[in-house]
Amino acid sequence: MSHILVQDLAVTYPLFNRARSSLDTQTAPLDAGEDFGGTPRLVRDKRGYIKGVRALDGVSFEVNEGERIGLVGANGSGKTTLLQVLAGIYPPEEGSVTIEGWTTSLVNINLGMRSEATGNENITLRGLASGRKRVEVESRRAEIAAFAGLGEFIDLPVETYSAGMRMRLNFAIATAFEPDILILDEWLSAGDAKFRKAASERMSTFVGRAGILVLASHSASLLRANCTRGFWLHDGRMRMDGPMDEVLSAYESSGNSLTPEQG
Amino acid sequence: MNIQTRRYDLHAASGVRGFWMDLWAGLSMVELWRTFAWDEIQQRYRRSMLGVSWILLSFLMFVGGVSFFFSALSGWELQSFIVYVALGYAAFIFISGNFIDGCQVFTASHVWIKALSLPYSVHVYRSLFRSLLIFALQMAVVIPLMIWSGWVPGLVTLLVVPALAIYVLNAVAVQYLLGLIAARFQDVGHLVTSITRLLIFVTPILWVREGLDGARAFAADLNPLTHYVEIFRAPLLGEMPRMTSWAVVFGVTLGIWVAAALCAAVFRRRLPYWL
Repeated sequence: MSHILVQDLAVTYPLFNRARSSLDTQTAPLDAGEDFGGTPRLVRDKRGYIKGVRALDGVSFEVNEGERIGLVGANGSGKTTLLQVLAGIYPPEEGSVTIEGWTTSLVNINLGMRSEATGNENITLRGLASGRKRVEVESRRAEIAAFAGLGEFIDLPVETYSAGMRMRLNFAIATAFEPDILILDEWLSAGDAKFRKAASERMSTFVGRAGILVLASHSASLLRANCTRGFWLHDGRMRMDGPMDEVLSAYESSGNSLTPEQG
Repeated sequence: MNIQTRRYDLHAASGVRGFWMDLWAGLSMVELWRTFAWDEIQQRYRRSMLGVSWILLSFLMFVGGVSFFFSALSGWELQSFIVYVALGYAAFIFISGNFIDGCQVFTASHVWIKALSLPYSVHVYRSLFRSLLIFALQMAVVIPLMIWSGWVPGLVTLLVVPALAIYVLNAVAVQYLLGLIAARFQDVGHLVTSITRLLIFVTPILWVREGLDGARAFAADLNPLTHYVEIFRAPLLGEMPRMTSWAVVFGVTLGIWVAAALCAAVFRRRLPYWL
């Protein structure tokens, strides 16, 4: 049983250093094109100082069990913020988010690990942090270590790992405890071909159990292979919600490019 | 399969009720914060030869050095003065540690706060548990010192139990409150560190309040820490703490909890945006 309901979600990141835009708000055109300059997403106070950045605005959708969502959009379109809200990290500023099911998220591989602690210690911490009992963690430890494929590195501090090794460990931990809802950011496509294949296999067995997958990526092949339904975010708003293939072709035909096919 | 339903919106988990829920949910994750705290202590001393014994060594060095010089000023016998300083200093380290740790309790955990949806109180408990472990280690050397100086436990010793309970209760609220404020206003961390450095001199740890004249003794009483230290130290020295001390401690505790609850009710949900 897993279900996501999002209604009129809005999120604004506050800015405390009170930056004054170098673009004069009076003379600059309101929408200076694709770039960030002059976008209406910057929230200003009366004197023109930037108070915050509106990352998401009026986003609504419903996801039922077994659906695999692929998230596309340019840099800064709000993909990561949406994933973080779904993961329960950022509370919504407006609107509501209802999540049913055990949720695991992998949004930033550099977070959620103690880099001075060993891989094994991090397995314990992350397992406990996702609400599992110690015995459950112990019973999965060997499987996680095997999937991460780190060999003896599992007993070395995580700070000695390469980015790819960190990612493998992170992904292995996140998926080992069989969450109902899995939230992944685009870094998954940074793995080598062998890892991507193993990850895809794991994601399909996971979805076979009627879980929900939400995956943000710039890789067309990764999205096509793993997702059934696509969301296209643009400037913090939902531009399109439909079958993955249609969203991808609409996205690409509007001048955006995705990473082409890869292994 | 476990089913968890979570609802995030403007009203869910906000307000004072949200603060209680956060405190309670965090408390139930005892295995997590215990593991965290223990890892952190070991980590801090991992590459030193003497390891965790440094906690005891630096404590004994301070107590020994200070007692040697200040016992002359206090007019006490060296043996009993050592115990006086050791008890007061252990209590002071715990209390002032809460101020300093409190300011970093959330900022230092941003790696976790921005990665997982955990109750924020987990980070408070983890920090508190770490201080308690250090405190327990220090008490493990103070108690032999007390026995060596001829201490005999009595009924009054039992008053240590409520004193420690009050310490823990205060620590949770202080760390939560300072953690939130310092996450928003970074200057608070620097301010608190500066004040804490001063506190050891204005609290009766190196000197004895009873040895002071009226005006100075009164000034010492204006410092709440005087009373916090007294409710713990006096029973272990075989004395009854003054009622004034208990009254002040209760009042301050209540005040801190009200402040923490109000602050958390309004600002708790902004925390991830501030880090």
